[in-house]
Amino acid sequence: MTDLSIAINTSVPAAAELAPRAAKLSARSLAFHYGDFKAIKDINLDVPEKRVTALIGPSGCGKSTLLRIFNRIYSIYPGQRASGEVILDGENILDPKYPLNKLRSKVGMVFQKPVPFPMSIHDNIAYGIGHYEKLSKADMAVRVEEALRQAALWDEVKDKLKQNALGLSGGQQQRLCIARAVALKPEVILFDEPTSALDPIATGKIEQLIAELKQQFTILIVTHNMQQAARCSDYTAFMYLGELVEHGVTSTLFTKPTKQQTEDYITGRFG
Amino acid sequence: MTDHIVKSYDNELKRLDGEIQRMGELAISQLDAAIDVLQRRDSAAAMRVVANDDAIDALEHEVSHDVLRLLALRQPMARDLREVYASLRISSDIERIGDYAANVAKRSMVLNQTAPVSAARGLPALAKLANTLVRDALDAYRSRDADRAMAVRGRDAEVDAEYTGLFRELLTYMAEDPRQITACTHLLFIAKNIERIGDHATNIAENTWFLVHGEQPQGEREKRDTTAQ
Amino acid sequence: MATVADRLFLRRRIVNGVSLVLSGLATLFGMFWLVWILWTTFTKGVDAMSLQLFTEMTPPPGQDTGGLLNAIAGSLLISGLAVLMGAPIGVAAGTYLAEYVNHRKLGEVIRFVNDILLSAPSIVLGLFVYTVVVRTTGGFSGFAGAVALAFIVLPVVVRTTDEMLQLVPTQMREAALSLGIPQWKVTTQILYRAAAPGVLTGILLALARISGETAPLLFTAFNNQYWSTDMTGAVANLPVTIFQFALSPFEYWNKLAWAGAFLITVFVLLVSITARFFLLRKKMSHD
Repeated sequence: MTDLSIAINTSVPAAAELAPRAAKLSARSLAFHYGDFKAIKDINLDVPEKRVTALIGPSGCGKSTLLRIFNRIYSIYPGQRASGEVILDGENILDPKYPLNKLRSKVGMVFQKPVPFPMSIHDNIAYGIGHYEKLSKADMAVRVEEALRQAALWDEVKDKLKQNALGLSGGQQQRLCIARAVALKPEVILFDEPTSALDPIATGKIEQLIAELKQQFTILIVTHNMQQAARCSDYTAFMYLGELVEHGVTSTLFTKPTKQQTEDYITGRFG
Repeated sequence: MTDHIVKSYDNELKRLDGEIQRMGELAISQLDAAIDVLQRRDSAAAMRVVANDDAIDALEHEVSHDVLRLLALRQPMARDLREVYASLRISSDIERIGDYAANVAKRSMVLNQTAPVSAARGLPALAKLANTLVRDALDAYRSRDADRAMAVRGRDAEVDAEYTGLFRELLTYMAEDPRQITACTHLLFIAKNIERIGDHATNIAENTWFLVHGEQPQGEREKRDTTAQ
Repeated sequence: MATVADRLFLRRRIVNGVSLVLSGLATLFGMFWLVWILWTTFTKGVDAMSLQLFTEMTPPPGQDTGGLLNAIAGSLLISGLAVLMGAPIGVAAGTYLAEYVNHRKLGEVIRFVNDILLSAPSIVLGLFVYTVVVRTTGGFSGFAGAVALAFIVLPVVVRTTDEMLQLVPTQMREAALSLGIPQWKVTTQILYRAAAPGVLTGILLALARISGETAPLLFTAFNNQYWSTDMTGAVANLPVTIFQFALSPFEYWNKLAWAGAFLITVFVLLVSITARFFLLRKKMSHD
């Protein structure tokens, strides 16, 4: 009775105890211009592998701009250019010699507004796959099912794969877009404010989905809703006026940030 | 209640609950052990009891840390918010119970240096009452049963009454035999610690009620500690 | 005691009421003419309207029977060929405008030129084709007529294609490009599918527009008394037939002209309604 062997027995490891990971994507001295305007000023950022990193900051801080550098989607717009390096698996993806379609097969993107293609649900997913691989109908159906399962959408659409995708609800359309991105088996998925057009239940489902997806993919999510960043992410980066102000483990950044600017933003004192 | 859509949220709440349960188990063991070493006059064992209090303190820090994290990262609402809030308050009460138990064990070591005092016979009864109160309060919390918690709240009066009786008895002993004053004073403090344990158990019960119903329990808590009157 | 707010409110209500009445009258005014035209063409041409309108050729002057078969057939041929020539070029040009030079100076210039062509008088186009095609080939031809009409189809299709493609959200383009799909595939397989209802509507509206154009045909396809599907020669067509028959002193010819006018009006109405119906049905739905 008097001798107690004390063992602190807790059944679930805290998220902060997740082992640190190597960087999957590294930005080095990254800058970005819209014409003459310098939107991103000399950023160095490591995005750890198979973790969720969130980018937060007030409107116009450059977080979406930064995200869009990682798959070079800005290249279709004249006058937009990036300088510096972004290293993915040891190669600089900003190098003009790095093929765009190779980049986009490794780095997928999900947008703010769900934009399913004007086709059936099955074709939406098969379209991207079909561009890269020649599969038989049976194999393609397997891949489509796999992607839809990963996006937690299979059960809801398995009976209506031939129906037009535009008949789905907003939350379902967004999960379809996620399925479309994961179908190509990328390594990194970029989310640009994925739930800002959705209601809270649909948002919750997408957040749960992201928690599942991070076991397979490196995830970078831009959100103007910092509570979402607090809920979802393992690491958070705070940006302001094109600069990376602070970057760290989410629970630390939201409980004791090191920079005053970060604290002001998080507590709603500005921005 | 159904699970949250985001499962990690449920996991974090379960972790918090587990920590509190563990703290409760430790505190009850400590209380039992403290009374035991007092009766057996075993100073070596008493020292171990004192040392073991560190474990409860460590858990309380864990709970604080997890509550802070939950509040910052999950923005809990409604029941979730009350759960987290109650966890914080209850862990604090359990930690105090642990401290008092350790204090009892510490004082018993001093007592052991003098001859045994007959007045010490009243303590086990008091301790048993307090012990049952703590167990019931923690049980009520574990099962989130507000009615059981209310019952605990009512029984604190018995602990107070028992303490008042013991207080008078010790005063009498001290008046009769001045050589007993030192020992009886220690016993007084021990008795007071045990009575405070009862109060903290009642706090736990009140927090459980708040958790379930969202408001403080009505009515005055019955106090029969008339020693200060 | 009426407060200032009350007086202002009353004034707004009066203005509102007056505006409603005026717009209602304006609508009635517009509708009135349309109904009158339809009624007039119908009643004046009803005598000539029977099955033979569609089975008999145009009669020689003085004859009491006959139809408009060759004219109808010729019109269909010429219009069809015009759309076949003008629409693909128009879609391609519209795509170029919307996808490649959208916000650039060159795009503005092309759009400006297109608008000029859009509002060019059709008689000028007819004269142009007369000089360039008819004089060089030596005679009137259905083909020349189709070319002239194609010049009318082209800017309409360019305009609608351009606008319909611009309506497709940028994010759809970006989403497709993010999958690694090359630009040309994005345009043909995704954007065309998304803009299809609108583009088709544009083509249908262009068809409706050229159905009644007379001036260009006067210089190019001219007319043909007889049945001819040889596009290298003059081909009968409804507008010019109506022109000739209406001005003639022969009563039956006049009646046929009215019947022809009615046919064209109904045809244009049907095509427009189909186009609207088409577009409305395919509207995208969001929740």
